[in-house]
Amino acid sequence: MLQAGTNTTSRWFSYIGLGIGVLLLLCAIQVYIDLRQLLHENVARKNGVDFISIAKTVTNETMGQTEKNLFHQADIDEIKSKPFVDDVAPLLANQFRVTLGAGAIIPFSTDMFLETLENDFIDTLPPSFQWQEGQADIPIIFSSDFLEIYNVFAPGQGLPQVSESTASGIPIFITCEGNGIEETFRGHVVAFSDRINSVLVPKAFLDWANKKYGKNNAVAAARLFIKTKDANNADLLNFLDSKSYKVNKDKTKFGRVKQVLQGIFTGMGVFGLLVICLALMLFSFYLQLMLARSKDNLQLLLMLGYSPAWLSKNVLKQYVPVYIIVVISALVATQALQAFFYAYAAGARPGMQWSLHWTVWLAAVLLMSLSLLTNYSMVKKLLYKML
Amino acid sequence: MLQKGEYIKIVAPSGSGKTSLTQFLYGLRREYNGAIFYDDHNLAGLSAEQIARYRKDHISIVFQDLRLFNDQTVQENIEMKRQLHPFHPPEKIKHMAEALGIGSKLHQACGKCSYGEQQRVAIIRALMQPFDFLLLDEPFSHLDDNNSKKAMQLILEESRTRNAAIIFADLERVDHFPFTRLFHL
Repeated sequence: MLQAGTNTTSRWFSYIGLGIGVLLLLCAIQVYIDLRQLLHENVARKNGVDFISIAKTVTNETMGQTEKNLFHQADIDEIKSKPFVDDVAPLLANQFRVTLGAGAIIPFSTDMFLETLENDFIDTLPPSFQWQEGQADIPIIFSSDFLEIYNVFAPGQGLPQVSESTASGIPIFITCEGNGIEETFRGHVVAFSDRINSVLVPKAFLDWANKKYGKNNAVAAARLFIKTKDANNADLLNFLDSKSYKVNKDKTKFGRVKQVLQGIFTGMGVFGLLVICLALMLFSFYLQLMLARSKDNLQLLLMLGYSPAWLSKNVLKQYVPVYIIVVISALVATQALQAFFYAYAAGARPGMQWSLHWTVWLAAVLLMSLSLLTNYSMVKKLLYKML
Repeated sequence: MLQKGEYIKIVAPSGSGKTSLTQFLYGLRREYNGAIFYDDHNLAGLSAEQIARYRKDHISIVFQDLRLFNDQTVQENIEMKRQLHPFHPPEKIKHMAEALGIGSKLHQACGKCSYGEQQRVAIIRALMQPFDFLLLDEPFSHLDDNNSKKAMQLILEESRTRNAAIIFADLERVDHFPFTRLFHL
């Protein structure tokens, strides 16, 4: 009775438009959430905080002026006072000459530096990482990056490449030279660190060694480690930029990328919303046209005793299944894309989910409810006008 | 005051306001002076939903111009009223249609039926719902005597079942309507 057969093209256009709009919006929401998750996971997190290392930028002007290139207590206090910084710890280095070697096992030795850092900032801290005077063995936490660098140049030097487990078993000879004294200690790697690019020794050993072999001056730190809730925090990055502090770029570049990507996907979401609005408008026009063409029949139904509210519900009942199908299809498509992304792009990283976030489901339900409600109100209003 | 169970005949020449009166009573038009009350409710003050309920449950009408859905079949036209507030089962449609001689037309589009057949459809449609008042606006204008009598008999039967009142507006007196009150406009 309702002339629903007329103007089918515009009706189908509105369905397709609605489907595209819903798909864009749902994808934008899911990708936004995935992005936040992914980019957080790329920072060396420990217990919900991020750790980044910073150094002062050495320029032509500041070269050779250690007091300008090192962090002093005032610098540390300033950084610590910032609301986006939870804690700061300096990486303190040796004040004497250090040579590391592997003895006869691997004929390799090099001048090296030793550093120490507060335990709270170390990502891999075994119980054995302690030293007291008189202890012959020195535990070392070695940077995974340094091992990787060694394995890169080793073949060219005719040296064997080593795995982490092998490296842990190789005795390392630490020769300390200063104040006219030269002494060799035996150490071994107790852990590898992904976070700290250094050769770490227990603070007790370095303090003792600096006193014995070095000048034991209060030397400022070349590097600091910052503990923060979000390494990609815009305020943090802006502060570091303003002080010309060089940041461990790997950890924070995502801050910039994240802002751009989030901007893109927000734009996509807004575009999706616009498409939905346009589709709903088109569908409203279709409904109005259909009601106008069926005016005589609808007026007669009202005359016979059919209520406007009942008629509104039943007019829309024809289209509810289509709305549901459109939104469910968009949900299924979004789920398929998310599963694909999880499996092939995100690499099934921890914290990521192959299933859709609850906000995506909520958005779908809200969209469907909103479109049904607006159309119901419009139809009812038009029917009341026919009375 | 019109009460349930009464049979009211309104006789008036063409243009005197019979149709207007039935439409006022049906709540279709409100351009009159005074007030029309159904029980204690002023018809002019009813909302759209209340008017719909009034027409669905308490009052039925055979329009002078019939107002059928020409593209729908006879059966569909009648069913459309029946399903609104089923007083009779669906089988009753066929029974009434056969009683009035249009049993074979049930699956024919109303627009293709003769005016007399359409009038009988309109009558059966009006009898499908519960009502306290039945408004008849020249319901037999295109029926012969025999069919008029049959239709009248059906109408009276249905009204008695409901203890309903009939308000019968026509150009001249119809003998087979046992009115209790007669008005001339």
